Amino acid sequence: MTTADGDADHASEEAADTSVESDREALSGPMRSLDPRVRYVWVTQALLTAAVLGAIVGGIAYAVERLLWPGVVVFALFGLVSVLLAVARYRIWRYQVRTDSLFLDRGVFTRVRTVVPYVRIQHVDANRGPVERGAGLATVVVYTAGSRGADVTIPGLTPEDAEELQERLKRLAIVAEGEDAV
Amino acid sequence: MRLDVRSIPYRAGESVTRLVWLVAIVAITGGNDTSLAPPALLLAGAVVLVVALAAGYQVLYFRRFTYDLTDQTFDIRSGIVSRRTREIPLRRIQNVDIAANPVQRALGIAEVRLETAGGSGTEATLRYVSRSEARRLQDDIGRLNRGESAVEDADAERYTDADGDDPLFAITMRELFLLGFVSVDLRILSFLSVGVPLFAPSLGDVVAPTRPLLVQLSPITLGVGGLLVLYTVAALVGGLVAVTNYYGFTLRRAHDELRYERGLLQRYSGTIPLDKVQSLSIKANVLARAIGHGSLAVVTAGYAPGEGGSQSAVPFAERDRVVSLAQSIESFDDPEYVRPPKRARTRYAIRYLAVALGVVALAYAVVRFTPLDGAWWGTLVLLPVVPVAAQATWSARGYAIQGDYVLARNGYVVQREVVVPYHRIQTVTTASTVFQRRRDLATLVVDTAGSGGYGGQDAQAVDIDTEDADRLREEVERRMHTAVAERRSQHHRERTESLRDTTGPVDDGPSADRTTDPA
Repeated sequence: MTTADGDADHASEEAADTSVESDREALSGPMRSLDPRVRYVWVTQALLTAAVLGAIVGGIAYAVERLLWPGVVVFALFGLVSVLLAVARYRIWRYQVRTDSLFLDRGVFTRVRTVVPYVRIQHVDANRGPVERGAGLATVVVYTAGSRGADVTIPGLTPEDAEELQERLKRLAIVAEGEDAV
Repeated sequence: MRLDVRSIPYRAGESVTRLVWLVAIVAITGGNDTSLAPPALLLAGAVVLVVALAAGYQVLYFRRFTYDLTDQTFDIRSGIVSRRTREIPLRRIQNVDIAANPVQRALGIAEVRLETAGGSGTEATLRYVSRSEARRLQDDIGRLNRGESAVEDADAERYTDADGDDPLFAITMRELFLLGFVSVDLRILSFLSVGVPLFAPSLGDVVAPTRPLLVQLSPITLGVGGLLVLYTVAALVGGLVAVTNYYGFTLRRAHDELRYERGLLQRYSGTIPLDKVQSLSIKANVLARAIGHGSLAVVTAGYAPGEGGSQSAVPFAERDRVVSLAQSIESFDDPEYVRPPKRARTRYAIRYLAVALGVVALAYAVVRFTPLDGAWWGTLVLLPVVPVAAQATWSARGYAIQGDYVLARNGYVVQREVVVPYHRIQTVTTASTVFQRRRDLATLVVDTAGSGGYGGQDAQAVDIDTEDADRLREEVERRMHTAVAERRSQHHRERTESLRDTTGPVDDGPSADRTTDPA
C-alpha cells in the first residue's frame, strides 16, 4: 500500500513541478520603471510639505520682523529641491518580477537594491493615498516576516498594474509555498 | 486547569503594596498636620477593607482564569468583567519562559510566559503557577511540539530529559567574576574620558572659588584619576548586574530544545527551540577579546522588536568553547572572514578625522564663547587616535560565505559575529550611500525574521566592493532558494513518514516505510 501511494505521490509531484515552472515563467517579466506620473505625486507631496514649512517660517518671520520673504524663500528652495529629487528618484527606480523573487532598485542618496524571494512573502497590500488617487496611481506594499518588514514598497503603479502585480505576487507566493517563515 | 492557589495571596499582596506606596507618597507630601489624621479605628477599618477588596478581586481572577494544554493548542480563558478566550497553536510557540523573584520562590510559585512570532508582545502570561507546574508546561509543550504525547508515561523520562543530563554549559565562579570585570560600557567611558580632562577644572571654577587648588592639578592627572574612578564604578555596577543576571547559569539540551536557567535573586528559565533558530550571534568587547572570551546568543522570532529577541546561550566563556557550542547548534565551519578593501579604511579615517575636528572645534567654541574655561587643546589628543581607530574598525569587519551559512563580523569595541543559515533569510539588500559610491563600496544586508533587527543585529557585510556586493546578493539569494527547497522536501518526507507511522498498520515497522519512500 505504501509503495503505490509513494509512486502516485511522486508522479503528481513531478507534474505539479513542471506546471509550476511554466507558471513562474509566464508570471515573471522584464525590468520595469514606474509610471511617469509618479513624479507629480512626489512633487505634490513635497510641495505640500514645503507649503507647511514655508507657512511656519513665514509666520514666525512676519510675527518677529514683519518680513514676508523668508517664508517664500523656504517654500521655493524646498520646492525646487523636491522637484529635482522627484525626477532623479523616478529615473533611478526600477523593479522586476523575476522567476523566484521580486527585485527593487531605488534611492537617490543611498542606492538600495533589494531581493524579496516569493517564498518569504506574507501578504501583499495595495494602497491609494489621496494624492495618488488624484494622479490615478497606486502603491503596492509587500510584507515579509523580516525585521525590516514594510520596507518593500512599489509606488507609482496604475491601479490595474497594482492589482495585477498584487495578484501575480500572490500567485507566485502560493506557487513558491515555502515552509514556515518562522 | 487553574493557577496555583498561592497566587491569590501573592497577587493581593502585590496590589496592596502598590496602594501602600501611593498612600505613603500622599501622606509624605501632604505634610504632617496631625489634627487632620483620621482616628486609628477608621484607619484600621480602611486597611481591612482594602485588603479584603484586593483579596476578593484576586479570588475572582483566580476562579475565572483557566488554562488547558491540549494536543494542538494552549487555551486560556480569563477575565472578570470582559471574558477572553485565547487559543495558541502549539507549533507557533517560540519560547516558554519561567521567571520567579525571591518572594515567589519562597512561595514556590513562578510566572510562565509564552512567546510567539506574531503579536506585539508576550502572547500569554500565567501569573502564577507552582514551580513544578511551570516545569511541566515547559516540558510538555516541547514534547507535544515534537509530536509525542504529553500525558502518558512521561514522568520517568521527563526528569532525565532536562535535569539528569550534564549541562552543555554551566558558568563557573571564575567566568562570572571575569564577566563582571569586562562588562563595562566602554562607549560611555571613552566619551567621558574626553569630557573629564576638558571641563573638570572649569566646572570647579564655576561652582566654587577654589581655583588655586584645582589649577595645581593638571587636567591630565585629573583625567586619568577620574577615568580610573569611573572605570571602577562602571566595573562594579556592570559586575553586579552580570552576577545577579547570570549567577548559576546552566544550559541544557533536551531533545531539540535548549533550556537555560539563570539569576541570583530573580530566577529565569527559558526554552530555545532549535528548529526555530533564526541566527546566532557571538559577541565580545575589547576586554573580553583581550582575555580570549566571548558570549553566544541565539536569536529566535519570538518577542516584540526592541524587547530583544535573542537569548543568551553562553553569557561568558572562552572563545573556543563559545564557537564549538555555536557549531553544535548550527554546524558552520570556522570562519575565514573576507575583509573589506583597503579603500574602506581610508573612508573610516576621513570619517573619524571629521568627528575629531568637530569635537576640537566644539571644545574651542565652548571655551571661547561660554563662561566655561578649560584646556580645549586637550581634545587634540583625538587626532593621533584617528588612524588607529580607522585601522581597528576596518580590521574588525568581514564576511564569510559557507555551504549552509553566511557570516558577518562588525565592530571593534564590541565585536559581533552573526551566523545566518540560508534557509532563514527573508530578504537580501545591497545599499550604498553617496559616500560609499565615491569609493565604489556597498553594504550587503541579510535580513532574517529575528526580532530586534535594528541596531545591527542583522548580518551585514559593510563596505565591500560594489561588484562583490551585487554578486553576493545574487549568490546568497540562489543559495537561499536551494536551502529552502531542500528543507521543504525534508520536511515533507518527515511529515509523510510520521503520518504513516500514526495512521498505518501497527505491524508495519518503520524500516519498511523508509525503504519504499520515493525520496
